[in-house]
Amino acid sequence: MITYVAQRLLAIAFILFVMSVLIFGITQVLPGNVAYMIAGQFATPDVVAAIENKLGLHDPIFVQYWRWASGVLRGDLGQSLIMERPVGPLIQEAMARSAILAGVAFICVAVLGIVLGVVAAVRKDSATDNAISVFTYLGISVPEFFWGIVLILVFARYLNWLPSGGIGDPAFGLPVDPRYLILPAITLTFALIAHVSRLTRSSMLEAMRSNYVRFARAKGLAESLVVRRHALRNALLPTITVLAIDVGFLIGGIVVVETVFSYPGLGRLLLFAIERHDLPLIQASILIIATIYCTANLIADILYAYFNPKIRYGRPAH
Amino acid sequence: MHWFSRSIIAGMLLTAPTWSNSAIAQGTLRVAFGSSLNTLDPAKTKIGEEYIQNFLIYSGVTEIDRDGKLKPDLAESWTASDDVKTWTFKLRKGVKFHHGREVDAEDVKATIERVIDKATGSVARVNFEIIDKIEVVDPQTIKFELKLPYAGFAEILSDRQARVVPRDKLDTIGQEPIGTGPFKFKSYKPGDRVELVKNPDYYVPGTPKLDAITFRIMPESAAQVTALETGEVDLVWNLPLESIERFQKNSNVTVDSVATSTWDGVIMNAAHKPFDDVRVRRAIALALDKKALVEAALYGHGSVTHTMISPTHPYYNKDIAITGPDIAGAKKLLAEAGHANGFKTTIFVPSGRPPRERVGITVKELLKPVGIEVDVQRVPWDKFVKDIEGKEAFYVDGFFSRPTIDTSIYPWYHSKGSWNTVLWNYKNEAMDKVLDAARGAKSDDERAKLYKEFQALAVNEPAGVVPYVLNHVNAFRKNVKAFQSSPMMWLDLRQTTVQ
Amino acid sequence: MAAPLIDQDGLEAPLAGVTRPRLPRKLVVGGVIIGILVVLAALAPWIAPYRFDEMSLLKRLKPPSAAHWFGTDEFGRDVLSRTLLGARLSLLMGIGATLLSLVIGVPLGLLAGYRRGRFDEVLMRTMDVLLSFPPIMLGLLILAVTQPALWKAIIAIGIVYVPPIVRITRSVTLDLVNEEFIQAAHVRGDSTRYILFSEILPNAWPPIAVEASLRITFAILLGAALSFVGMGAQPPSSDWGLMVSEARPFVDSAPWIALAPGLAMCLTVIGINLLGDGLRETLDPRMRSQRGA
Repeated sequence: MITYVAQRLLAIAFILFVMSVLIFGITQVLPGNVAYMIAGQFATPDVVAAIENKLGLHDPIFVQYWRWASGVLRGDLGQSLIMERPVGPLIQEAMARSAILAGVAFICVAVLGIVLGVVAAVRKDSATDNAISVFTYLGISVPEFFWGIVLILVFARYLNWLPSGGIGDPAFGLPVDPRYLILPAITLTFALIAHVSRLTRSSMLEAMRSNYVRFARAKGLAESLVVRRHALRNALLPTITVLAIDVGFLIGGIVVVETVFSYPGLGRLLLFAIERHDLPLIQASILIIATIYCTANLIADILYAYFNPKIRYGRPAH
Repeated sequence: MHWFSRSIIAGMLLTAPTWSNSAIAQGTLRVAFGSSLNTLDPAKTKIGEEYIQNFLIYSGVTEIDRDGKLKPDLAESWTASDDVKTWTFKLRKGVKFHHGREVDAEDVKATIERVIDKATGSVARVNFEIIDKIEVVDPQTIKFELKLPYAGFAEILSDRQARVVPRDKLDTIGQEPIGTGPFKFKSYKPGDRVELVKNPDYYVPGTPKLDAITFRIMPESAAQVTALETGEVDLVWNLPLESIERFQKNSNVTVDSVATSTWDGVIMNAAHKPFDDVRVRRAIALALDKKALVEAALYGHGSVTHTMISPTHPYYNKDIAITGPDIAGAKKLLAEAGHANGFKTTIFVPSGRPPRERVGITVKELLKPVGIEVDVQRVPWDKFVKDIEGKEAFYVDGFFSRPTIDTSIYPWYHSKGSWNTVLWNYKNEAMDKVLDAARGAKSDDERAKLYKEFQALAVNEPAGVVPYVLNHVNAFRKNVKAFQSSPMMWLDLRQTTVQ
Repeated sequence: MAAPLIDQDGLEAPLAGVTRPRLPRKLVVGGVIIGILVVLAALAPWIAPYRFDEMSLLKRLKPPSAAHWFGTDEFGRDVLSRTLLGARLSLLMGIGATLLSLVIGVPLGLLAGYRRGRFDEVLMRTMDVLLSFPPIMLGLLILAVTQPALWKAIIAIGIVYVPPIVRITRSVTLDLVNEEFIQAAHVRGDSTRYILFSEILPNAWPPIAVEASLRITFAILLGAALSFVGMGAQPPSSDWGLMVSEARPFVDSAPWIALAPGLAMCLTVIGINLLGDGLRETLDPRMRSQRGA
């Protein structure tokens, strides 16, 4: 098990390195535009050149990469070119907000997904089962931005129950007002709930048909006890790994959802940086996001390995 | 969790607005605007939201009030030499920056030099290039020597990028703005909000009345509107014109509209055929129904005009009437120019600037009767600035008010003007003479006469068609008192209070 | 991002492979929906009542009526026509990007699975790196450095989906490589290209096809998301994601502008999902029965 984790960590480190090169390399196609954007419309070529020099945009690419990468490793993510302030705190704040949103959504997906999956399994083929199936199917068939807009229309405009975007003032000790989290979290949850509920349902069904459950029933245990104690525990194993994979999907969805709800998280920050060709901000944002994604996948792999006896206990001695 | 406890929590959450209101200090105004700020350094500001901060955190040497009149600000008085080439300003004593130091002439010198410096990249640089020498006579007196006579120099110093910054804090001014204005900078969270607090030492006694201002960044116009309706914000800056109707029947909200000199124009680039022929340009000017353009593009919230001189301006030429479209006249001119059957052309509009897009579409409709077939092409704003402005023949563009009448007109209509060469390549000797003379005009009457002549020239030999000047619209709730929109489009909140 | 569908039950039909399987209902329904969509998209320029950029300020923001079944948008353009024409763009995006990923990914996967060794190692590491980006991030990264445009988005999405295609192709190839007929061809001295494309591929295509059908859905959704945030199709095109994005300021005064493309997207994705599901159900037992032979 330990060797497995060590191997994976090494692989991740390598991947992150290659990723950083890739990110840096791709964004370096941009330099002229950045200087031009800073200088403004009337900039003469000499002003643009002066700015390019100041930013070191004419140095060989390896030098620039090394400057950036060594900075990142030291914790210095560079200076935003357009806003003239360090990138680090910008990303930190944005990340905190995204993390809260993602966290809330994740919990909802996990809890609701499992609950729906269990209910669907226990009431297999009933109207409830079908209803849950259709409901979750809708969630993954339609893009988040559409659902988000529908939710805004209904809950923020017609009913006026919830705010339609932004993050409000800090409240209850959190950096965001919880009411502003509700609609975006629902949107994200809806998009992902199908995975978890479906997988839970099928592994529950398998578990409930398995031998030990039949045995427990034969022993005369109450159905609910059977469900809870035996079937559920085993059914959850693959679900846990799916949840870890869902973090990846969450990250993907967060860019869109943050746009729909004007939620100032990391996804919106990235789009903001792209619009303004703010190189350091783009590079740092994508690097951070990709690192989080990698880490989530790593955790998923480790969890899967943990629950998979073959890997956990190593190969049997011959 | 028990359903009872769940509903209690839900109830608490849903009534939270009242909670958070009491947590904010009384007298905090909450404003919504649409864009994040790129910088808080006045010299580098480029967008409306940034200009607002310039006005609140900083002061200028002079300022322009709501009625368009020039007033003293940091300077208590000024004189100009007879040839209007040398200007001397006397600064007030005892005005302090937010970090405690008194402002003096050296600060003003540093501020202006900074704007002129190419490395700063200020868009106002061209306005200050007429300065030859800046001399600090004593800590309260500063003298400017200009390269040419310029009657409007005092107005230029009121401009957004020339707000006075402390010379000892120039490195950090972009992130930690320190000025002499009515409000002090507290914090800025990109994408979220800007927070300002009252400057208790502001030199105008009794102001500001507010304790603090919070600017909420809401890029979605629909979100701004909702926030205003629910009371989440007290004021929306630059309300999108299509939302105005919504508030007409709302007794809690006042929509305050003011005429500005911000204008949109149908640009006809004289470097391209057939727009090099002034008869073609005149024909198009005759064919366009300006009132229809105001209705279509601005939902009626604008004023028709000849040029970017607003109809409320004292120099506006009332003698020239704005007539309805003259299709027959337009056709005749086109025929004279050799286009009896009209011609085909493309008009480019920037997507992301809805009023200008609507202008483009309406122009298409309005030119049909004279036989000009127009294809409307929408181009994303970045690409528009790069590939269309100055390069294409026919497009719609727009510009903010400038502080002085000269800076509003000269760059566009004078053959050497900085905007002229990148926009429509207009060359008219008579025009050049009039504009140069106006710059040196010593009396108000003389200037008025010359600018009226300018307008006549601009109508008879048009560079492009300036159909209207826009209104600037703010909307605020009834708990906001003593607020009026400003034609410069910034927020003067010194007298404002909120209940 | 929306995600793959997972099997309803974990059960095998007890008599699979023995009786001749009827076409599953999903395949039929999905096929019908997609069929209609493709036809509409293909015929759109002719059946659309108006041009997609026909603007008229007098008719702006009108609710659905006889003249305009889905109303008009802020420029007076007919929403229905734009949606129909948007179908072409979405299908183009989905199919184009998937084709690109197949064209690149399948040969690479085949080669890697057959050859193994250094090439396989390097390729899989590269794929791992690409897979370390959330799909939309990789797309944004590629598009960030250039003026966004629809065709660039298609290329970006195609690249993003190369790794899954490579993976599945490689995995199927690995399974088949040990089969006798492949070994025989190798011994015979057949060229690699022949073996890959004429022996392996014909047997490997079912799971690849299933994966590809999933990818089309993803590509359409990812494309719509990219257009929604402004990095895909540009105005005045009537891509569905872009339409929804442009409809946002009017969502309460004129909700139909966003509704039409939204519903269209729903139907499309549901159709493709059903089709893909149905495809998998038909192909799976067949594959199994083939192997058993």
